[in-house]
Amino acid sequence: MDEDVFLEENLLKYEEDEESLRLLEDEARLSKWKRPALSPSYLSYSPNILFQQLEIDYVIGESSKELLPNNSGSAAILRIFGVTKEGHSVCCHVHGFEPYFYISCPAGIGPDDISRFHQTLEGRMRESNKSSNVPRFVKRVEIVQKKSIMYYQQHEAHPFLKIVVALPTMVSSCRGILERGLNVEGLGSKNFLTYESNILFALRFMIDCNIVGGNWIEVPAGKYTKTTKSMSYCQMEFNCVYSDLVSHVPDGEYSKMAPFRILSFDIECAGRKGLFPEPIHDPVIQIANLVTSQGDDQPFIRNVMTLKSCSTIVGVDVMSFDSEKDILLAWRDFIREIDPDIIIGYNICKFDLPYLIERAEALKIAGFPILGRVRNSRVRVRDTTFSSRQYGIRESKEVAIEGRVQFDLLQAMQRDYKLSSYSLNSVSAHFLGEQKEDVHHSIISDLQNGNSETRRRLAVYCLKDAYLPQRLLDKLMFIYNYVEMARVTGVPISFLLARGQSIKVLSQLLRKAKQKNLVIPNIKGQGSGQETFEGATVLEARTGFYEKPIATLDFASLYPSIMMAYNLCYCTLLTPENARQFNLPTESISKSPSGDTFVKPELQKAYAWLNLLLNLPGCSNFQSSYIQGILPEILEELLAARKRAKADLKEAKDPFERAVLDGRQLALKISANSVYGFTGATIGQLPCLEISSSVTSYGRQMIEHTKKIVEEKFTTLAGYDHNAEVIYGDTDSVMVQFGVPTVEAAMKLGREAAEYISGTFRKFIKFCFNPSNLSLRRDMLDCIGRIPKSLTKWIQKARIGGIETVRRDNCLLVKNLVNECLCKILEDRDVSGAVQYVKDTIADLLMNRVDLSLLVITKGLTKTGDDYAVKAAHVELAERMRKRDAATAPNVGDRVPYVIVKAAKGAKAYERSEDPIYVLQNNIPIDSQYYLENQLQKPLLRIFEPILKNAQQELFTGKHTRNLKSSTPSNSGIMKFAKKQLSCLGCKAVISDADRTLCLHCKGREAELYCKIVSNVAEMEVLFGRLWTQCQECQGSLHQDVLCTRHKSDLTFSSHLFPRLPDILSEEESAERHG
Amino acid sequence: MPDAEIEEGEAKLFERNQALYKSLDERYIVHGQRYKGQQYSQIYFARLHCMRNLLRPLVSKWKPHLPVTTILGLEEAKECTIVGTIYKHMKLKPSILDEYSKERSTVPLVKPHNFVHTDDHLILEDEIGRVKLRGSLLLPSDFVTGIGVALHGKKTIEGDFLVQDLLEAGFSPQVELSAAGNDKYVVFISGLSIGSNNFNPLQFQLFVDYVTGHLGSDNEQKIASNIVRVVIAGNSVVIPESLLNGQTLSAKDQSKISEPIKELDILLMQLAASLPLDIMPGPKDPANSFLPQQPLHRCLFPGTSAYNTFFSCTNPHQFELDDFLFLGTSGQNIDDLDKYSNAKSKLEFMERTLRWRHLAPTAPNTLSCYPFTDRDPFFIESCPHVYFVGNQDKFETHLLQGPEKQLVRLVCIPRFCDSGIAVMLNLRDLDCYTLSFTADLKG
Repeated sequence: MDEDVFLEENLLKYEEDEESLRLLEDEARLSKWKRPALSPSYLSYSPNILFQQLEIDYVIGESSKELLPNNSGSAAILRIFGVTKEGHSVCCHVHGFEPYFYISCPAGIGPDDISRFHQTLEGRMRESNKSSNVPRFVKRVEIVQKKSIMYYQQHEAHPFLKIVVALPTMVSSCRGILERGLNVEGLGSKNFLTYESNILFALRFMIDCNIVGGNWIEVPAGKYTKTTKSMSYCQMEFNCVYSDLVSHVPDGEYSKMAPFRILSFDIECAGRKGLFPEPIHDPVIQIANLVTSQGDDQPFIRNVMTLKSCSTIVGVDVMSFDSEKDILLAWRDFIREIDPDIIIGYNICKFDLPYLIERAEALKIAGFPILGRVRNSRVRVRDTTFSSRQYGIRESKEVAIEGRVQFDLLQAMQRDYKLSSYSLNSVSAHFLGEQKEDVHHSIISDLQNGNSETRRRLAVYCLKDAYLPQRLLDKLMFIYNYVEMARVTGVPISFLLARGQSIKVLSQLLRKAKQKNLVIPNIKGQGSGQETFEGATVLEARTGFYEKPIATLDFASLYPSIMMAYNLCYCTLLTPENARQFNLPTESISKSPSGDTFVKPELQKAYAWLNLLLNLPGCSNFQSSYIQGILPEILEELLAARKRAKADLKEAKDPFERAVLDGRQLALKISANSVYGFTGATIGQLPCLEISSSVTSYGRQMIEHTKKIVEEKFTTLAGYDHNAEVIYGDTDSVMVQFGVPTVEAAMKLGREAAEYISGTFRKFIKFCFNPSNLSLRRDMLDCIGRIPKSLTKWIQKARIGGIETVRRDNCLLVKNLVNECLCKILEDRDVSGAVQYVKDTIADLLMNRVDLSLLVITKGLTKTGDDYAVKAAHVELAERMRKRDAATAPNVGDRVPYVIVKAAKGAKAYERSEDPIYVLQNNIPIDSQYYLENQLQKPLLRIFEPILKNAQQELFTGKHTRNLKSSTPSNSGIMKFAKKQLSCLGCKAVISDADRTLCLHCKGREAELYCKIVSNVAEMEVLFGRLWTQCQECQGSLHQDVLCTRHKSDLTFSSHLFPRLPDILSEEESAERHG
Repeated sequence: MPDAEIEEGEAKLFERNQALYKSLDERYIVHGQRYKGQQYSQIYFARLHCMRNLLRPLVSKWKPHLPVTTILGLEEAKECTIVGTIYKHMKLKPSILDEYSKERSTVPLVKPHNFVHTDDHLILEDEIGRVKLRGSLLLPSDFVTGIGVALHGKKTIEGDFLVQDLLEAGFSPQVELSAAGNDKYVVFISGLSIGSNNFNPLQFQLFVDYVTGHLGSDNEQKIASNIVRVVIAGNSVVIPESLLNGQTLSAKDQSKISEPIKELDILLMQLAASLPLDIMPGPKDPANSFLPQQPLHRCLFPGTSAYNTFFSCTNPHQFELDDFLFLGTSGQNIDDLDKYSNAKSKLEFMERTLRWRHLAPTAPNTLSCYPFTDRDPFFIESCPHVYFVGNQDKFETHLLQGPEKQLVRLVCIPRFCDSGIAVMLNLRDLDCYTLSFTADLKG
């Protein structure tokens, strides 16, 4: 046989085999990807469907003739996406819910007037929406009996007009017409105040159907019809009428979580040198995906899609493609096949998702952006800015993927945690105790252009990046906490990340108001946002060093308690004219210290009682009248629910159940605290400064009252051993020195005081005595004096262990130093030790022996340079860095790390900031004087002034400040002209011969000098060894070179020790000269 | 340099016995220390390469029916053998990042004696891939990072590797010795710690006098004359660390540094004048800390270095004495194993390193070592006859027999300053005794 023929045949056969093998492989993949098949019972007959909903939106479509024979034309159809307990995906189309709002009814309106009003409104609507061809804009106008939430009113209910419109978008245009004024025949021209007209349609639906975010919904058998032509990729899809939905309260069986599918992904792009990847030019080369089922601790699908071949990775499905188009389409198919309910990742909203979509656009792949659950619906990218008082301005991109919740871990981190850096690396180091290797984008291209091995390395890195968000999600229990938050506040899960706090309170308020038959007016932009009111004041602290234990008395949730105790609410607020008009007895109203009046809860009770007694005919409405304001009632429910959740938590054993309950109690706490803020948000939904200023004024009064009572009661006259003294008080706590020497005695008195004081307040305000605080402040040095509040918290936390860095623009050196000093003074009672420690640190700083990482200051870049009125160090630096290398420069929203360097005399502070990496690379000297004066001095003096007589002199002058050393810049200024000469290692005298190490004078000290140098070398070597092995550990491989470039470039600084490497060299050099 | 002693009364002359000495330290010498950006991956790579070459023929004998695959080539439930380096994932292993990133001054670095934890697990890594090891066969507490092994097993559904059998490199081949000769003694001593409070000059002087033949009866002198070599295994001096922080020192402190070294020089001079002497650097000596530690600099011994009987050696130290192969360290390798794994005694650790055919498997992972690029000098190519480790808590010894009739004398040398014990080894039969010196006048 001819050899060539044989070969060819064999090869062909082999190829065929491979082909069939691949097909088999694909099939195996698909079967793993698919959701569990539907049970035959669903397919054959239609049982009840119970599912947990995750996302609700609406579309405009033809209303279903089958379900609602009376309706016709286009209408809003709500879509509820969710998952059943078996893991089937559900899409439920809800029909028949109509958008509406209220206006106050003009006095004396009759049925005829209403139809006239209706027609006029319809006419005006048609005028302003000429282009649309809706048959009827305003569907109905009805008279309903409601009451406004604002101000105390004696009448029970007024007539209101409920205006029902055809489509949700018409609400706002209709509102506009009514607010601007409408001339109705017979009634005259009038500007109407609208009520509940700015509520999103989906939220309106949820409120009216009692659906809260993430709860279980049941559609009874026979009440739904399966869709004939499915619109979505969900396994179950059906139509029903809104009134047939059964919404379950998230309790017991219904507090569980369905097995959602969570997709965590990360992409890699091959950027060009020195430039940040742009979708127009740079290809997507890898996408790593991990899919986890909620409740499992391991992902059940791990795969990575790569451009060009890639070696296999254990436990990971590697899929290689030859063209970028194939990757993108494969990813789309993957998404469609596995059908994730939640998509997570790190910075996916701002980078990964928009990049993929824009890249597909650039490559003209029209079929790519169909990632949602709705067939043929393209994903759109929109720029959004989110601004909130609490979180500042954030630019972001909104990628609407219908039916799937996006959860960007970066956003969640920025919202929930205060960190000095939000890079994935530092976040995972902080929460998971794990560093990830950092591959610079310039290396990414090199790896991609290498062979299948180098691409494998990149894939491993990419997978790790995809896995970290999932691990963070698990570790921080985001799913539990956010779902519980959605359940408690009643908003959809997607609102929690995309919107501020106020929507949550508004949702609760609306739900409560609906029960009480109240309506909420639409008050827009009442203030300019600049109005303020007096905040919580703080008692003047008595600075000093206190040897004896100090007890801290805390109010338990003070602000919510005040609102409950004094019945502060929109509906109990009395306007001055109303007060005059109603002429209420003074004992039934309370005037807050800020001068606003509120009706006491007892008033209504009194009236009701009076009513019964006298049986007055005109007052009969009072019988059904409510007793409390709405806000107090919401708060009371929240706090009671929290108590319940905490009690359940104690009993619960199942870890999942515990997670849910813990998430719930946390959500309840946060919600209760945000109610106060809601009333004070002047550009919020329903601001009411009367309430918020009353709350703070009551708070101040209470602190003062407490102080008075404590100092009156605990006196030697009253039989106590010592006079108690209030040393300090802030928003919600008071610190008392009872004068007793032991901690136990102070604790006893503290408890007694707490009980006594609680007795003097109204029932809701409870003084709670927190024994843990006391032990913390044992033998407290009261350095709280003029230290900002942040620092007092900091001290407490520092005691408990680990610094909670409250002020992030301090460098680590200050934090460490202050903490250490407090430890020494408070715990070890070693003042002179603390002083020595400070001196040593200062000497180290001046001698340039402090690690650079300790000197880095970070500041958030919130706007671009032009937007800042004053030039700020970090902004200027960001600008300079952009000029050097646009790819690595910080962007808006990032935190900019910088150090202060020495500069020409008279240089402005903002000109002296410099990128730490740049400083290391160029040996730029640090301005140690700046750190001494601007960073260290103030906090140190605050601590030491009460203890030391001449703290300033003692600490900041003297011998230890006289030795200075700074690094010489390597390539700038006068150093360019310097000539290197050998000098004696002992005395720095210049020596002539190149081969000698010591001058004649020092020859006798040879052994000693050698010891010193060699010990430095040894120290460096240990450091070298430990650092490189640490790098290997992070990378997770022994046999391959460490790729991570952090030791050269990115510094989140916790790990930044590598500048020492050059030192090792020079030390070794001098050792060599010896040899 | 033969040396003779003249006894006072009777003029009896003992001639010092001699042995042929050949230093094999060349492999541990680092030439031209200049850092060129090398990383530790190369040394692991070289080690794995060595191991693979060594294990390949062994594996084909061990499990001839099984295919040898790479970790990436593993297939589920298919039995095979793999060769790689063990990596031990340790929960308690201290991380330098923690030290630096957390409040480094406030948290005192707790240094427990041992970092082994029940949650530790083993991972096998080859040139490219990694796989987690499972099964009760391998006890994580017995192993450390850096050992090259061959494993037989199969991949599980979870993607781990279920180990069914293990093959270690085993003892290296040993040069067979010719017939037993005469009594010839080698004396080992370590941990003099001159300059520390524990050091007693009289005690050491007694040792010097004994070895040089200035003490004892004829009989003892006869024995002393058969001592052919003294080996000092590390930690000869202690220099207070507080003086070495880079600050300029006062004249008084300067002498505090040089004083112990001068004293050592004087004492060693007496020894070197009488018989050959090897000194190895230890972790506390004025030497670098990377293994292999380079010889102590001659400038430290202006007096002793004039003698050609004085040898400043590397640590580890390897030499031949009348065909006997000696291998030893100042103790770092065994102490590090003790921190990161468990064994009944130090001797067991020593036996393990012989079995793994690697002197210091934990280098560079937890033991700092020079980043070699082309070789792994700690690989034990031929099995020594005497294997000693300095600076241990107590004297221990064992005559180990290998599977191919290798005979190895294992010696743990105790710290002299604490115990007053030096170890004497007879080359004739590899027997081992202690010499105990006490200068406690009360006792």
